[in-house]
Amino acid sequence: MSTQVTANLSEDVVRQLSEERNEPDWLTNTRLEALAALEGLDLPDVIQTPGRRWTNLEALDFESLVDPLDQSDETIRDVEGDAEVLTFREAIDEHEELVRETFGSVIDPHHNYLTALSTALFTTGTVIYVPEGVDAGDVTIRAEMNSRSLFSQTLVVTEKSASVTILESIESGDVEVDGHRYFSNLVEVVGGENSYVQYGSLQNVDRETYTYTLKRGDADTYATVNWIEGNLGSQLTRSDVETELNGDGSETKIVGAFFGHEEQHLDINARVWHQAEHTTADLVTRGVLDDEARSVYEGVQDVGRDAWNTSSYQRENTLMLSDESEADASPKLIIHNHDTEASHSATVGQVDAEEMFYMTSRALDPTTARNMLVEGFFVPVLEEIEVDAFREELQELIAARLR
Amino acid sequence: MSSEEHLKQTDTEARFEFKKEEKSAFAAEKGLTEETIRVISEDKDEPEWMLQRRLRALEQYKEMPMPTDWPGQPDLSELDVDQIVPYIRPDVDVRGGVDDWTELPDEIKDTFDKLGIPEAEKNALSGVGAQYESEVVYQNMQEQWEEKGVIFCNMDKAVQEHEDLVREHFMTKCVPPSDNKFAALHGAIWSGGSFVYVPEGVTVEMPVQAYFRMNSEGMGQFEHTLIIAEEGSEVHYIEGCSAPKYSAFNLHSGGVEVFVGEDAHVQYSTVQNWSKNTYNLNTKRAIAEKGGRMEWISGSMGSKATMLYPSTILKGRGASDNHITIAMAGEGQDIDTGAKVYHNAPNTKSTIESKSIAKDGGRTNYRGLVHIADGAENSSTAVECDALMFDNESTSDTMPYMEINESKVDVAHEATVGKIGDEDIFYLQSRGLDDDDAKQMIVSGFIEPITEELPIEYAVELNRLVELEMEGSLG
Repeated sequence: MSTQVTANLSEDVVRQLSEERNEPDWLTNTRLEALAALEGLDLPDVIQTPGRRWTNLEALDFESLVDPLDQSDETIRDVEGDAEVLTFREAIDEHEELVRETFGSVIDPHHNYLTALSTALFTTGTVIYVPEGVDAGDVTIRAEMNSRSLFSQTLVVTEKSASVTILESIESGDVEVDGHRYFSNLVEVVGGENSYVQYGSLQNVDRETYTYTLKRGDADTYATVNWIEGNLGSQLTRSDVETELNGDGSETKIVGAFFGHEEQHLDINARVWHQAEHTTADLVTRGVLDDEARSVYEGVQDVGRDAWNTSSYQRENTLMLSDESEADASPKLIIHNHDTEASHSATVGQVDAEEMFYMTSRALDPTTARNMLVEGFFVPVLEEIEVDAFREELQELIAARLR
Repeated sequence: MSSEEHLKQTDTEARFEFKKEEKSAFAAEKGLTEETIRVISEDKDEPEWMLQRRLRALEQYKEMPMPTDWPGQPDLSELDVDQIVPYIRPDVDVRGGVDDWTELPDEIKDTFDKLGIPEAEKNALSGVGAQYESEVVYQNMQEQWEEKGVIFCNMDKAVQEHEDLVREHFMTKCVPPSDNKFAALHGAIWSGGSFVYVPEGVTVEMPVQAYFRMNSEGMGQFEHTLIIAEEGSEVHYIEGCSAPKYSAFNLHSGGVEVFVGEDAHVQYSTVQNWSKNTYNLNTKRAIAEKGGRMEWISGSMGSKATMLYPSTILKGRGASDNHITIAMAGEGQDIDTGAKVYHNAPNTKSTIESKSIAKDGGRTNYRGLVHIADGAENSSTAVECDALMFDNESTSDTMPYMEINESKVDVAHEATVGKIGDEDIFYLQSRGLDDDDAKQMIVSGFIEPITEELPIEYAVELNRLVELEMEGSLG
């Protein structure tokens, strides 16, 4: 099903966005090509089983959601170490060749309707460049969304033997906007030989906002690309976190945490492609659902023909706190090479009655006991987060939701 | 001679791959038209309502698109239903089947002899039905069960003699033709199959068995199985299938409907070994009432492409379901199987155990669905899939879907994929086994949790089939 281009989008609008940013022709053209492609592109694939579609992206009215010329954000970029952290505009001034070579190299702008829309319209973004051999330390990006729609583009390039830890968060600002909003975030990681990237992301926008994010990493020989994806906000979240293990001995870990309540809908996807020898992947996702919240999870471990000696693991656990909530899961294994050790598992359940009994028998009231168990449920995911501040923030947000 | 010995003495390849010269009394034209259906129905002397159901199914078949957009599904593009002969009546005067093997024409009797069916009947079964092409040619039920009111007959006969039961249950609540394109096709041109009825409280202690044999080239087989187990009854139904290999494609599109009454227990076991040019596109479903227990045990060995997901609807409180499946795909085979369970009532329970083996470029896929409806509290399900791969040309996928609408549940899914362990082989070789024997032993061990659930004849047959498959690849 392809989607119609909305009336408020036109070549002029895209040209204007590009001109305001004084962009080189090649980037203007990339935007225009993405715009032109819109008409023939489909929305992201959504899991379907007989009689139902698990997430209804078609219901989003892009006509009213997208306001391309009125995008506004407040973004603070904090650098502790030696990484070059630049706004997209600065990066084009200072490293045009690098941006030109890598932008769109990991995520094809024409991948689907939403990636093309984002490529055509993005106004904010960050480029993080870590030169060869540099151990860059921590980078923090805190963004606030202050408009009806916001399109963001992040590019991370780590050269040979470089390393960096990045934390990104998105929240809604104080600016009042009537009706629904749309936040789109594309993140590309080009992980050079033997480099290390941990990219953590925390989404906590308000309940009026729909979010779409596609994060994809390309791991070269011996490179590690790790992802942490925390989703608490938004009315409808569509999150895709993916790694292509293209180099021998490369590794990835995709760690996800989500907590939905009220009528939130979370469509969480973790995917990995093993394309080279001796690659390792570990996918861990934990989610809690309360009230009428709904989660959709797809995990894909794709082992290619030439991926000799692959190790690939996936675990997904959902805890349901309410009878009205719904959790759908589909962990998929696609194996083309027999020299593989792979497993996946998924569980759905409620707070364990015995554990509750044990804790209440130790004089905790049932609510406190339940909250402690929920907080404890997230521990295996929290443990993966290297940066204390990020872990504490996620922990606090979970605790706040339980109060 | 025990049936096990019998099986050992029969060369397995000769057992399944032999073919007979085609001889038929009546063969429908290729393809599917209203005319063909009227001819089939008339030839079977069916009541008007059955003809109407067939024609309605034909309409639905025409309206429905081919399933082509499932992720990673088998390629059906070469399957041309218009080139399939949908109905062949063998050239024998056995309309409705005989109850003595000696009454069968030699070439048909010989076929079943080679398959070891009469031998098995003597030793271990309560009754046997044997279908050759589109018609059941042999049907027998031990007297002791008949006296208790158990009915085991072929489906065409059931339409005549147990019309009310059939009219109520046949493709109405369990597998309506609208379920999928091939269920609709089946509803239009079904022929043969088994009808099993077990009255309230009756336990049929020995399994009843049906064996389906496709012999002609380019034909389709569309047998229908209807099992009705009334409250508190118990029955084990076994089905076996085979067809020799021809160059043209065969299509098997059977339909199985099982009604598990309150506190009843039905076990359905099947080992299918269709030839490697057969498309095996089946619909099998059970509805389990309160406290009812359904067990599916299946081995999928043959066929070019299989799409088969036996499903159970746990309709009554405390109903339960067990699935045990094994699939093996060799060169040119695409076996897409799995299980579906709908938990529609509280305290329902299901387990799915699936094992697959892929080799020589074969492809196996586990595609499963567990649905827990809102209100199905205290339900639990556990799904376990293990895949074993031999080589790098083969593919094995696991695509489970879980839809959970209820919080008071316990859902677990686990899957693993591994290659045959070099260390295991080394260990066995160092104990004096050659490479082939070592691999066979490892595979036998891998599928043991499944074979131990099967009646002995079937366990032996399954092991022999696995061995046969392995010999082909390792020689």
